[in-house]
Amino acid sequence: MPATNLAHLRRVLAVRGLTPASVIPDASGGRTEEACVRPARLVEGDSLAWRPVGAAEPWPDPLAFLDGIQRSELIAYAGAAPIVVGEIAAAVRERAGRRLTTVLTERRVIAIARPSALAAAGDALDGLESVALPEDEPPHPVRDLFNAARALDRARGSLELLVGDRFRRQSEGWLVVDGSLTESPGWAADPRMLGISKSHATLPFEGAELERYLRLPYGHRSSVYAPETRSLAPVRAWALRLWPWEGKDLFHGLVRIEVAPVNGSTEMADLLARRLLAERAPLSTPDPRWDRLLYGIHSVEQYLRAQVRGTA
Amino acid sequence: MLESHPPVGRVVATELKPSTPHQFYFWTARESPIGIGAIVRVEEQGRVVFGVVTDGFAYSDLVTPMHAVIGADGDPVAAGIEPTTRAEIRLFSAAVLRQMPEEPLQPVPLGPVWLASDADVVLALRMDSYTTGDRPTGIPIGLYAAGGLESPVYLDCDFLLGPEAAHLNITGVSGLATKTSAVEFLLSSIFQTFPRHKGSVAALCFNVKGPDLCFLDQPAALNEEDRRLYAKLGLRPEPFSNVRYYAPFKGDGVNLNTLRTHDALAANTEPLVWGLHEVLDYAEVVLNRDDVDAKADAFIDFLGERVVGREYRDEMLRGKPFLVQSFADLEEFFRAIFEFMEVLGKGAEVWKTHHLATIRKVRNRLSNISTRSKGLVTDDGVAHDLPWGRFADRSVHVVDVAGLDPLAQDLVFARIVSKLREHLERRDLGVDHVVVFVDELNKYAPADGADTYVRKMLLDLSERGRYLGLVLFSAQQFRSQVQRRVVGNAGTGIYGRMDMDELATPGYATISPATKIKLATLPKGELMVRHPHFTQPIFVKFPRPAVLNSREGIERFPPATDLPFAEAVARQMRGLDRRVATDAVCALLEGRREDDVRRALSATRRERPADAYAFFAACLGRRVNGEVVVPRRGIPAVRRADDSYGR
Ligand SMILES: Nc1ncnc2c1ncn2[C@@H]1O[C@H](COP(=O)(O)OP(=O)(O)OP(=O)(O)O)[C@@H](O)[C@H]1O
Ligand SMILES: [Mg+2]
Repeated sequence: MPATNLAHLRRVLAVRGLTPASVIPDASGGRTEEACVRPARLVEGDSLAWRPVGAAEPWPDPLAFLDGIQRSELIAYAGAAPIVVGEIAAAVRERAGRRLTTVLTERRVIAIARPSALAAAGDALDGLESVALPEDEPPHPVRDLFNAARALDRARGSLELLVGDRFRRQSEGWLVVDGSLTESPGWAADPRMLGISKSHATLPFEGAELERYLRLPYGHRSSVYAPETRSLAPVRAWALRLWPWEGKDLFHGLVRIEVAPVNGSTEMADLLARRLLAERAPLSTPDPRWDRLLYGIHSVEQYLRAQVRGTA
Repeated sequence: MLESHPPVGRVVATELKPSTPHQFYFWTARESPIGIGAIVRVEEQGRVVFGVVTDGFAYSDLVTPMHAVIGADGDPVAAGIEPTTRAEIRLFSAAVLRQMPEEPLQPVPLGPVWLASDADVVLALRMDSYTTGDRPTGIPIGLYAAGGLESPVYLDCDFLLGPEAAHLNITGVSGLATKTSAVEFLLSSIFQTFPRHKGSVAALCFNVKGPDLCFLDQPAALNEEDRRLYAKLGLRPEPFSNVRYYAPFKGDGVNLNTLRTHDALAANTEPLVWGLHEVLDYAEVVLNRDDVDAKADAFIDFLGERVVGREYRDEMLRGKPFLVQSFADLEEFFRAIFEFMEVLGKGAEVWKTHHLATIRKVRNRLSNISTRSKGLVTDDGVAHDLPWGRFADRSVHVVDVAGLDPLAQDLVFARIVSKLREHLERRDLGVDHVVVFVDELNKYAPADGADTYVRKMLLDLSERGRYLGLVLFSAQQFRSQVQRRVVGNAGTGIYGRMDMDELATPGYATISPATKIKLATLPKGELMVRHPHFTQPIFVKFPRPAVLNSREGIERFPPATDLPFAEAVARQMRGLDRRVATDAVCALLEGRREDDVRRALSATRRERPADAYAFFAACLGRRVNGEVVVPRRGIPAVRRADDSYGR
């Protein structure tokens, strides 16, 4: 490949009316998500609009953040069938008086493989939870690994749900969750939960509306909409731009917010958006997703990484 | 060790910041009692490590300052009100004081960290080896304080006063470093706690600056806090009970050259008077090295051995024998030589193998001494000296040289230290150990400048004194200005508040930056101590000395104004006997020659007769023709009280 001056190329394309872009880092830390458009239903106004949310406003105490992490390692093959050991963890850290403290944390180590491979391992995996991969097709190391990754994803999701529910049993306070609320009907209906998604693999609009959605200016939110969900957990959602994106990338600083339908009013969406704007600082650098990653969520992730790494 | 207190930190080690056998890092909560100089204990799997905190670091998870700016939109106010404070760390580095067990010597384990308790401090500083048992040798120097704990810190007298190590040097800026005060406190601590089984100890202090050491026998008004510190250290806040002051006269030969001239203090303030003989023995101290060649040396020896203090007959010079006891007598002797040579006429260059030029040179130098040490050197050749051979246990002797010419100061230093040395060598001083305190050491043993007799003597003292029990306590503002070997030989080093420029000199390279900052801002009454048992320097605080400080002393005991000759004599007489009336003395002195009076006074002082006035009057004799009546030295009559002068 000949040496190309990409910066120059970006400028030239901008002159031609294109939007310059930069590679956007993977949003969800290993989670696998298919890219698609699932048209949503607007619930605020007749057409997709940009709404300035006003000045940032501090979120009253307490405010909690929930996140989970996963880590896996291929440790053996039983014949052609891989055995993966994964570690998942989830935690809630709560903020009061500007300080975050961990209030809940859970960890699991699980072995993921075809049942036959697990059997072949014998008592070597004793004491670990195990997750069986489907055996309807003959072993294929690459496909099996892909399936193992999805299984670990699901296990992590379930652990997050468990921790989230436990938190709710002990606290009435607001809980900000990394990702979507639609995984659980309970969360989707929770009047004090808010999901914040950094990834935009699933987009709610197409065509001109999509362009409008992606060009949302800094400090604005989109109209509230009701995403199409396969699960039976209706929520309300809107996009929010946390940082100016111009000159960077369409996705820079763009997050999707989900709340229970009771919080879907214009006033509530504005209020929550203003509060989220206040959460831009401190920056979650050096995480490359700092433009969309709230410091609170980052802090949960750091905490979990320190825990998991500490015993690796 | 079972812990009732929770740990305050945890040792951490990374590849870049590893634990080693001599240092480690630990983190603490944001709020903790740990500070620079704090002593901590690490305990993990049977290994106990004590360390002293040498530096501290705090940082957050912020990667670059730019991110703080971006996060706050460039507004420093907003930066302070971010909804979440960043994760941050308090990280400390510590230097190892002691590992238990000592072998095998290993890196500090990554265990929990506790603030040291009283018992820990004892172990950390290895004080267990000398503060316990049936022959303890600990001397309290101050309190180590951290996190609400206060533990006494002891020096080992075997390492402070010999024989293992000896000497102490204290350095720090004027006034704030409390150097002189610290030495006064420590001397008192030594006097109170020096163990009986180690023998006796006395102190000899040179007062080199104004009224500095002039009130060691007077109590101070201490505050509650100071008294508490004394109690905590197990010491009594008392002034020294046995102090004698020695000061030379001023040029008039009767008023003392010291600020301690208040009447109320006269009883233990005595003149320091030396004869020509004493001076001549130390002539080389004050003679310029270049001048004193072998020839001059030979002539001085001749004077010392054959002339001074004895009858010298030389019919060629004079029919009457010479009896040289004072500089005046000596001058007479020289004049006789020169006259004799003149008579011989041109070409006569040599007198008794001594070249005329040499004789002239020696005469000039010696007469220079007599001018510059006037008041120190007596006219009648009879000295009033320190009580050589009769030094009492726990006695303090202060020699006030503050008002003396530097040359005379050198002479005093040289002779007194040499005498101490001689007596200690012969073990007949009266005590087993003597602490010699020299303030302003930079003046007497400067780093650069001529290699004077005094500097060589101080070096010798610092190198060999510990075997003799001759111990040097010294102080100066700038350690870097003192001859390195003299301070280097001090087993114990103390640092008060220091000057940053001084700390930047190479001598302090081993001190951590944070410790330097602490030293540069150290409050009064706090010191950093190095001692052979302590692997690292330790910070302690000490109470004000229990003796009246010089400022208040001067207010309470203002120096007497110099009196006219007769009254000054009367005052001296009253110092010997309080019944003596000024008027009577003045009347008695009417028309007398001052020289005669001085001799009579000196004789009286030496004799200390029950009736001083009568003795004095007898010495003066009849007022006939002003002829010298007092018999010269060597005539026994003067030395006894039951002779014809007596009652
Ligand atoms: N333990 C103490 N705590 C608080 N203040 C003290 C303490 N000891 C002495 N001081 C005060 O500090 C002042 C200076 O003390 P000192 O004369 O000993 O200092 P120095 O270092 O010898 O000064 P210089 O270099 O001028 O001789 C005195 O006024 C004294 O009252
Ligand atoms: Mg001083």
